[in-house]
Amino acid sequence: MDIRELQGYASFFMTIFLVVMLYWYIVYLYRSEKKGDKDYEKLGNIALDDEIDSKPIDTSSVTPREKKEQDK
Amino acid sequence: MQSNAALEYDYSVAKLFTYTTILFGFLGMLIGTLIAAQLAFPELNYLLGEYGTFSRLRPLHTNIVIFGFTLSGVFATFYYSAQRVLKVSMAESKFIMFIGKFHFWLYFVGALLGVISLLLGYTQSKEYAQFEWPIDIVIVLVWVLWGVAMFALIGIRREKALYISIWYYIACFLGIAMLYLFNNMSVPTYFASGGLGNILHSVSMYSGTNDALVQWWYGHNAVAFGFTVPIVAMIYYFLPKESGQAIYSYKLSLLSFWGLMFVYLWAGSHHLLWSTVPDWMQTMGSVFSVVLILPSWGSAINMLLTMKGEWNQLTENPLIKFMVLASTFYMLSTLEGPIQAIKSVNAIAHFTDWIPGHVHDGVLGWVVFMIMAALFHMAPRMFKREIYSKKLLEAQFWLQTTAVVLYFTSMWIAGITQGMMWRAVDEYGNLMYSFIDTVTVLHPYYAIRALSGVMYLTGFLMFAYNMYKTMTSSRELTEEPQFRSPMA
Amino acid sequence: MFHWLEKNPFFFSVGVFVVIAFAGLIEILPNFAEASRPVVGLKPYSVLELAGKNIYMKDQCIACHSQLIRPFKAETDRYGQYSLSGEYAYDRPFLWGSKRTGPDLHRIGNYRTTDWHENHMWEPTSVVPGSIMPAYKHMFTNIADIETAYAEAVTVKNVFATPYGDEIKGTRAAWEAHKPAVLAEAAKIAADMKNKDVKDAVAAGNIPEVVALIAYLNRLK
Repeated sequence: MDIRELQGYASFFMTIFLVVMLYWYIVYLYRSEKKGDKDYEKLGNIALDDEIDSKPIDTSSVTPREKKEQDK
Repeated sequence: MQSNAALEYDYSVAKLFTYTTILFGFLGMLIGTLIAAQLAFPELNYLLGEYGTFSRLRPLHTNIVIFGFTLSGVFATFYYSAQRVLKVSMAESKFIMFIGKFHFWLYFVGALLGVISLLLGYTQSKEYAQFEWPIDIVIVLVWVLWGVAMFALIGIRREKALYISIWYYIACFLGIAMLYLFNNMSVPTYFASGGLGNILHSVSMYSGTNDALVQWWYGHNAVAFGFTVPIVAMIYYFLPKESGQAIYSYKLSLLSFWGLMFVYLWAGSHHLLWSTVPDWMQTMGSVFSVVLILPSWGSAINMLLTMKGEWNQLTENPLIKFMVLASTFYMLSTLEGPIQAIKSVNAIAHFTDWIPGHVHDGVLGWVVFMIMAALFHMAPRMFKREIYSKKLLEAQFWLQTTAVVLYFTSMWIAGITQGMMWRAVDEYGNLMYSFIDTVTVLHPYYAIRALSGVMYLTGFLMFAYNMYKTMTSSRELTEEPQFRSPMA
Repeated sequence: MFHWLEKNPFFFSVGVFVVIAFAGLIEILPNFAEASRPVVGLKPYSVLELAGKNIYMKDQCIACHSQLIRPFKAETDRYGQYSLSGEYAYDRPFLWGSKRTGPDLHRIGNYRTTDWHENHMWEPTSVVPGSIMPAYKHMFTNIADIETAYAEAVTVKNVFATPYGDEIKGTRAAWEAHKPAVLAEAAKIAADMKNKDVKDAVAAGNIPEVVALIAYLNRLK
């Protein structure tokens, strides 16, 4: 297999992969909102309520490590 | 880092970058106006001897506007808004304060050296990547410092979710880093030849068609990650904040982000249509340019819909006017670009004045308008005074809007006229016009463009004056305005 | 998974980087070896021509002139044979330009001569009435930096294997030995020029910028 062919396959599959990811992301966004896990629209308020002493908007948020612990 | 009552956002670095935004904006537009006038009135080429010709000044104009004005604006708005959406003050970390200040001073010194080196004619002759290797190294350092400040600030944030503006700033940082590094790869001849010749001179690592590919992969995407991505970051913060309306659809903003990231990089080869780069790349560039309309308009429509139900603000608040017009021009130029990237259109448009016309409706209408609006929004909060004059702001808005319209309409006509004349043949198949015919015919359009330049520059001076007065002598504010910026 | 990406700045950045780097990897990298092959018979630039190319860059001729003839009848009629990739194999950087405020120059050497260029650079309107190009009189007095051009030849020979002869070597002695050849090439061009100062300078061993530039422009064929 020469570099040309490799280039062709890589491009094809990577594009498909990214497109699938993008659509999956759309599904994920709406699904997680429906299930009540996340409220994305609420995040828009980060720009509005941005005083240093105001409460963080994203309260559902956890760090990756905390997340792992919760999953267990 | 416990928060306490006395804690405040620290704007000292944002202020410094605000000053340089104004300084470089004025310089860049002044030179731009001069070279526009030179095309209409060639005698103006001799004002500064060897250093005043169109050819020597043109890279100075582009570089000052890109790396001076726009980058300063990006840094200023970043150091202002990132603190706020992350809910953390720079003053909380001595390290971040130091990096921020160092970032500014290194940037300023580097920018001055860059200007001088271009005036003297030290250049790699690759568009928007003209700086020779020592300046490149300074730019890389500046960029690294920005990255350190950015990620350090993110590291100590209180707001765990990263607001969409931060996404765009991160993308700007990564994109420009990658593009700039690869396109500026060069070998300094002094070191490779055992110490012969000028130490500043270098040769590109790539040759011919390869160099062209890398250059326009860079050139196009420097526009993407310098003129689009960080400006979108700005509007996603400043438009909601100024209007008091949250983004129309936060989910749409996230989707357009990934769409933009994926599609933009492919479109670079549309600068090389009908050239010697392989055909499939040209087609790819063409196709992806058209696809690019989707994520661009996704963002732009999202911005406009943010104003839904609040359109009255458009008449009452000049800053909203600036930002809404900016997103409208964003829509215009992201539609115009793909049209020019269609191969048959490109055959006429390429090499003509339609291209600078396209660049300028994007830059004058979108980038500069957005940056000015952002700085106007920041000023009352940074300097704790209201904006000096609403009247001046209104006048500036209309003057500059007229200027942009004059600019791009004259360049559309000029470009299409020239493109058609180059290919016009008579009944026997001979070329109808000699080249000089296609130059002299453009004189009126060049004159109109020079006029529009003068108007826009005047508008920018009004902005600078208004800002200066706001900083120094406007009425003081007792408390920070929540949404709408107060103005007299 | 997405939730995690949105929250973690490091992995978010990696994600963005992968997505943006993808296009470059596919489009640019694999084509490199092919596109850099020179056409048969292509000679590398002489030192004087390289110096001229550096003047072309220094005064940014690229701001108004392209070096790329597209495959349309209107262009081949006006400028000659359309451009081939292999013709640019020794161009570092490429100088295609992006704007034709003035005409294309890729084959200017086929239809313009030394004395035409001399008049044109001194006062463009004297040969092209109505021209908006500035005069470049300073090129007649500024001295071209041929040592740097020589250093460039050495660099591209050593680093990129550009086929120069044995006389191009990275030592001062080799440069001193090669200098007379450069001067002889310049003297040939100066002989076709009428400007007294230029002739005197070349005779005295200094090469004005305009001579090097004309050498470069004559080479573009």
